Amino acid sequence: MFNQGGLSLEQAPPFLVVLRFFITATTFGLLLGISLLAYGSELFYIDYTTQITLIHILAIGVMASFMFGALFQMLPVIAGVVIQTPTKKAMLILALLTTGLITQLLTFNSNISLLYAVSAFLLGGGLLHATTIMIRRLVKIADHSTSSKGMLLALIGFSLAILLGIYLLLSLGGYVDATFLIQAKEAHYSFALFGWVALLIVSISFQVVEMFYVTPKYPTLLSNYLPLTLFSLLVLKTVLIFSSINTQMVDGLLAILFIIYAGFTLHRLYKRKRPTSDATVWFWRLGMGLLIITMLLFLADTTVGTDASLKFVSYFTFIGFALSIVFAMMYKIVPFLTWFHLSNQGYIEAPMMHEVIHPKKAKNHFAIHVTTLLLWGLTAFFSQFYILASLMVIISFGWLLYHLIYAMKKYNHTQKHTKKMEW
Amino acid sequence: MIISEYMRNEHRECDELFADTEKSVIDGDFTKAEEQFLLFADKTLTHFKKEEESLFPTFEELTGNTEGPTRVMRFEHEQVRGLLGKMAESVENKETDAYLSLAESMMILLQQHNMKEEQMLYAMCDRMMPQEIKEKTLSTMKVIEL
Ligand SMILES: [Fe+2]
Ligand SMILES: [Fe+2]
Repeated sequence: MFNQGGLSLEQAPPFLVVLRFFITATTFGLLLGISLLAYGSELFYIDYTTQITLIHILAIGVMASFMFGALFQMLPVIAGVVIQTPTKKAMLILALLTTGLITQLLTFNSNISLLYAVSAFLLGGGLLHATTIMIRRLVKIADHSTSSKGMLLALIGFSLAILLGIYLLLSLGGYVDATFLIQAKEAHYSFALFGWVALLIVSISFQVVEMFYVTPKYPTLLSNYLPLTLFSLLVLKTVLIFSSINTQMVDGLLAILFIIYAGFTLHRLYKRKRPTSDATVWFWRLGMGLLIITMLLFLADTTVGTDASLKFVSYFTFIGFALSIVFAMMYKIVPFLTWFHLSNQGYIEAPMMHEVIHPKKAKNHFAIHVTTLLLWGLTAFFSQFYILASLMVIISFGWLLYHLIYAMKKYNHTQKHTKKMEW
Repeated sequence: MIISEYMRNEHRECDELFADTEKSVIDGDFTKAEEQFLLFADKTLTHFKKEEESLFPTFEELTGNTEGPTRVMRFEHEQVRGLLGKMAESVENKETDAYLSLAESMMILLQQHNMKEEQMLYAMCDRMMPQEIKEKTLSTMKVIEL
């Protein structure tokens, strides 16, 4: 957790690099909203190309960018991992992620065989490069924190999802034998959604919830063993998928474990010592509530089966869960890091957290976010709400983007125009 | 585990005092907030002094390393001290918004600091120090005052 011979922050990439990841993520969020509008509800429901295009804008453009940005910042601080030349590495990863994703989207929509190979190389290679850098450092640390083991497993889960994704791209492009296409696709999704996004959120929360909201600790049984249990179940699930054995039992167990986790997190938040209930607490509560709903629907689907509308609801409650947590993190860490980095650099007039992004702005975003989710809920049953729901996606990401850019300007302004104290 | 237990407990006490102060500020009761804030600042600074004058030097002597974890911890103490000053000012001037903003930064800073100490530094102390040294350090710390 400590670095020899230096402050943990010296090894973190400069704040602006991290912010660039967040801004990229939010810009892809805007692109998602625009694409939803452009495709229209007809294509959205029936066209496979449209669906995988939208899913990848969201999963890679939005989620992976947010999470890599957060990991670059947090690994040195909460796991004590040192990444050398962080700026260079971060910029290369961001460049590969962006160009790779755009190539992939073109590939899906043009079906040119050569592009499948190019996007597998750029996107797959770029993302794997990112995960291996972090995995190699995490494997080496001697004293694990409550979060670092789970982060390691989540990164391994993501790497497996990426490898499966590369296989899928190459087989779709006709480069490799496509015998296992269906199985690989299912495993790809389960690792990407549960083995990466959900597992990373679970692991980070073990430290972050306590740190931001001053809550009691999670039970050690949970924080020590849940990530590994979830990961093992996902591996087992993959084995079952490839052996064409029913995965019902494993799915049920996964769902129950996620519900238990969400229950504990809600309870931690309820028991928190600080009296303030800022918007980020509400984002966490909402996120956990949505995770529980997702898992209940998932349970219902694996046991008695659900119809298309309810399946659709479970997809967007899962997305809602992940985005709620991402937003909760943004409104805490961006103002904090702006202040923290500037005051560390010795700027006497480093803006306070409220001056970077006022908690009221986060509250507004919470209202926007809830409206967006409700409209998508309606869209599951009445497709006439589709356009409004898509517009809300643009507004939601637009709101965040504006405040991230504001934070960046504030940061630059303080560095250029205010006095610095030399330590 | 005597070091961990004692120090962890002090962290919790500081958290309580911090939360009390914040509650009073939100309620607009600045007379009470000022009293509570002084208790919080006092407790925190005394705790830092115990670490810097007793626990850290003992740790450094045992490991022969003054550039490692303790250097990071001392640096973070300085950051907390800086914030304490600003928070005191805002309580005195009854500036709710400024206080809450500073409190937010303070909490994140302090919590991540305490977490590092509890999960790593104290655990290392308990693991490495011979029982007599632990007991001696503990009794020294118990009498340290601001
Ligand atoms: Fe300390
Ligand atoms: Fe301490």
